[in-house]
Amino acid sequence: MVSKNISPILSGKNLTKKFGGLVAVNNVSIEVERLGVTSVIGPNGAGKSTLFNLLSGSFSPDSGNVFLNEENISNLSPASRLSRGMARSFQITNLFFDLSVDDNLMLACQRLESSKMLVKLNRFSEQAIARSDELIRDFQLESKRQELAGALSHGEQRRLEIAVTMAMKPELLMLDEPTQGMSHSDTIETSNLISELGQKVTILLIEHDVELVMNLSKKVVVMALGSKIAEGEPESVRRDPLVQTAYFGESLA
Amino acid sequence: MLETLQFVYAPQIINGLSIGVAVILMALGLTIIFGLLDVINMSHGEFYAAGAFLSVTLMSLGISFWATLVIVPILMVPLGILIEKHLIQRVFHHKDRHILTLLLTFGIATVLEDSYKLIWGANTIKPETPIPGASEVLGVMFPNYRIFVMASGALLILAVWIVIYKTPLGAIVRAAAFDKHMSASLGIPVKRVYALTFAFGVALAALSGVLLAPIYSVFPTMGKDFILMAFTVVIVGGLGSIKGAVVAGLILTQLQALSSLYISPVWSDPIVFSVMVLVLMFKPSGLYGGMKNA
Amino acid sequence: MLDSKIKAIRIAEIFIFTCALLLVVIGTMLGDSFFIRLATEALIFGGLALAVDLLLGIVGLLSLGQALYFGFGAYMAAVLLKDYQFGFWSVMLAVLLFSALLGWLTSFIALRSKGVYFALITFGLAQVAAKSVYNTRALGASDGMVGVPIVQIATPFGSLNTGDPATFFVIVFITIAILYFVLKYFLHTPTGRIWNGIRSNESRLPYIGYQTAGPKRAAFVLAAIVAALSGALYPMLRGFVSPELMFFSVSGNAVITVILGGVGTLIGALLGSGILTIFKSIIGTLTVHYHIVIGLIFVIVVIFAPKGIIGYFADRIQKRTSHG
Repeated sequence: MVSKNISPILSGKNLTKKFGGLVAVNNVSIEVERLGVTSVIGPNGAGKSTLFNLLSGSFSPDSGNVFLNEENISNLSPASRLSRGMARSFQITNLFFDLSVDDNLMLACQRLESSKMLVKLNRFSEQAIARSDELIRDFQLESKRQELAGALSHGEQRRLEIAVTMAMKPELLMLDEPTQGMSHSDTIETSNLISELGQKVTILLIEHDVELVMNLSKKVVVMALGSKIAEGEPESVRRDPLVQTAYFGESLA
Repeated sequence: MLETLQFVYAPQIINGLSIGVAVILMALGLTIIFGLLDVINMSHGEFYAAGAFLSVTLMSLGISFWATLVIVPILMVPLGILIEKHLIQRVFHHKDRHILTLLLTFGIATVLEDSYKLIWGANTIKPETPIPGASEVLGVMFPNYRIFVMASGALLILAVWIVIYKTPLGAIVRAAAFDKHMSASLGIPVKRVYALTFAFGVALAALSGVLLAPIYSVFPTMGKDFILMAFTVVIVGGLGSIKGAVVAGLILTQLQALSSLYISPVWSDPIVFSVMVLVLMFKPSGLYGGMKNA
Repeated sequence: MLDSKIKAIRIAEIFIFTCALLLVVIGTMLGDSFFIRLATEALIFGGLALAVDLLLGIVGLLSLGQALYFGFGAYMAAVLLKDYQFGFWSVMLAVLLFSALLGWLTSFIALRSKGVYFALITFGLAQVAAKSVYNTRALGASDGMVGVPIVQIATPFGSLNTGDPATFFVIVFITIAILYFVLKYFLHTPTGRIWNGIRSNESRLPYIGYQTAGPKRAAFVLAAIVAALSGALYPMLRGFVSPELMFFSVSGNAVITVILGGVGTLIGALLGSGILTIFKSIIGTLTVHYHIVIGLIFVIVVIFAPKGIIGYFADRIQKRTSHG
């Protein structure tokens, strides 16, 4: 086995981000191993989203670095990170609402045929069509192809949100509260979907649904007030007194 | 050297200041409307023109210039309220609000401008200078009217600043701008605040028109001519910032006044525009962005 | 939903084509030149509106100064035809190339900003250009340039005389139609989809792998070309050009045209231009103050029917099919 396979796919080293006087992320380091689901949890205001934004390139860190497959990507734009295999979804659904489901996916999938040229005139992108058909099937959006994304139900929108993120077959899929606002049954379905995906790609998850996280993850990272306070397998994290205090001031179990 | 300062630069500086206060008044209205309502009022220049036209008409009916300074802005208030309540509010809650209000106010501007042509004709009207003559200040002769414009304009700007920042009324306006839902739940009549603020903003523009009419003359396209300057001041100062409107207004009008010594006036628009473009390209939030900053 | 919009667009296309056909046939039979020339002018300004719709309705950028490129095309054509005796094809080619260059250069100024700021920059650019042309003696200053010769177009079918109203109408119709179909074609390309994405949710695009600067620039240059080529036809029709062609009212009217016809439909620009031209000539006979009426109509459309005529019909079709 080449050593690449056992090194973390993503690592953030000593990341710090301040907004004015507020230290949102305070010297946090995180390693995401290949395949399976790694989750970041923590109470509101813990800095999870900011950490996510630092890792995905939405913000640049005040200090620290981000490595993807051992390459320092700290200064790369989100688009460049995507071409290197990192894709992210959004907590607040961030679709093209006045475009159809089909158009949303085609827009995401046509990037598959990229060359450096941005002004491309070939009308029919077969690779893109094939991939978008695949995604429609995988995410059960067949009957909604021509619907405007804005007209879908919340659960369908969240599914489409993940589908769009998957378009480029990323190695690392970063999902920001994918089950946010979903009904119970939708949450279970999505959870199964994530579990399945986690067998083929690496998933980094932010979630508020602690039970979901404990069931899915092979590793859990806990943040509070901008710092990492615990990490490890779900069971050990669940029993960690620091984590319990951070959340409720009482036992989670 | 001192003589150059005295005879060449000083007059231009004073000229620039007298124009400057009027520009600032107009820009204040524009920036307040943006700061509170989040509306780009493309028709702002037409209220400036309305002020000038109304003032001229009232004067031809025998009313003194000084009275028009008070009456005209007051006349603008109901018009402003009507427009805000019945037109702007209709597109206010649309998701494309910014573009729609821009287009809407553009449409209003079109209607207003042609109405002026209809009512007053296309010719230029030159009202008489309300304070003729000149006085000597520091050894140089300055037109009395310009001194008046400068002084009264400065007082008005100060008054606006005091009202917005030092009175309960101003606090209400700022609160509504900052968070309208919270303000509404605190009992602030947000809709009324919007309407009155818009009316206040356009009244300032009209007042500016009354003040500048004797200097620049009155003609139907005067609003369109002036609006580029007003927008430039607002953008350079920072959309929504009162301090920004004042500072940027002073800088830009001084720039215009002093550069006219060396460059032909046809270049004044390109220069002003270039400043706006540079600011938009490199620091789009302007000198002081946001109404929360003084 | 989208099907109804496609249907409405198709209907509009057929409608316009039919009107054009009838106009040419009946107009020629009656020996008319006034109405045919008026319709030609409607098409020319429709071309400008197409450029505005590309930017506003497809990419989501409101240009308040597209007349800059229209006027550029008009002046360049006038100068080349009058002073340098260029022929039709070489004029169009020159305008194409130089307007592309102008569009490309100005894009670096305009595209630094978006939304309202973009609108103001384009507004300012056009103002400055218009004032500069107004003050330039070599271009005729405020009087503009007159005496643009009637051009003969060399084709494999013989020489076409643009002085003949019906002939020129057909030529302009074909030119604008070509521009229209070129733009439509682009809509179905990857670049076109990116444009839709920019309009719909620009901030998401980097996360699905796109830099938006390139596509925006491409649209901006294309819009400049379309506006300029339309403008180039103007002196061929009227024999003169003047700085008024660059004034804000021309840019503003183009925006009104687009909103009236149906923003984002492309054909709406042509439809709107036809309707506004008819309006202007009717109201223009009653009063010189037609701007008030048009302004009022515009305000009403913005408030009550922001999707314009085609949008309105698309909604009607939608309602009918969901009940039928």
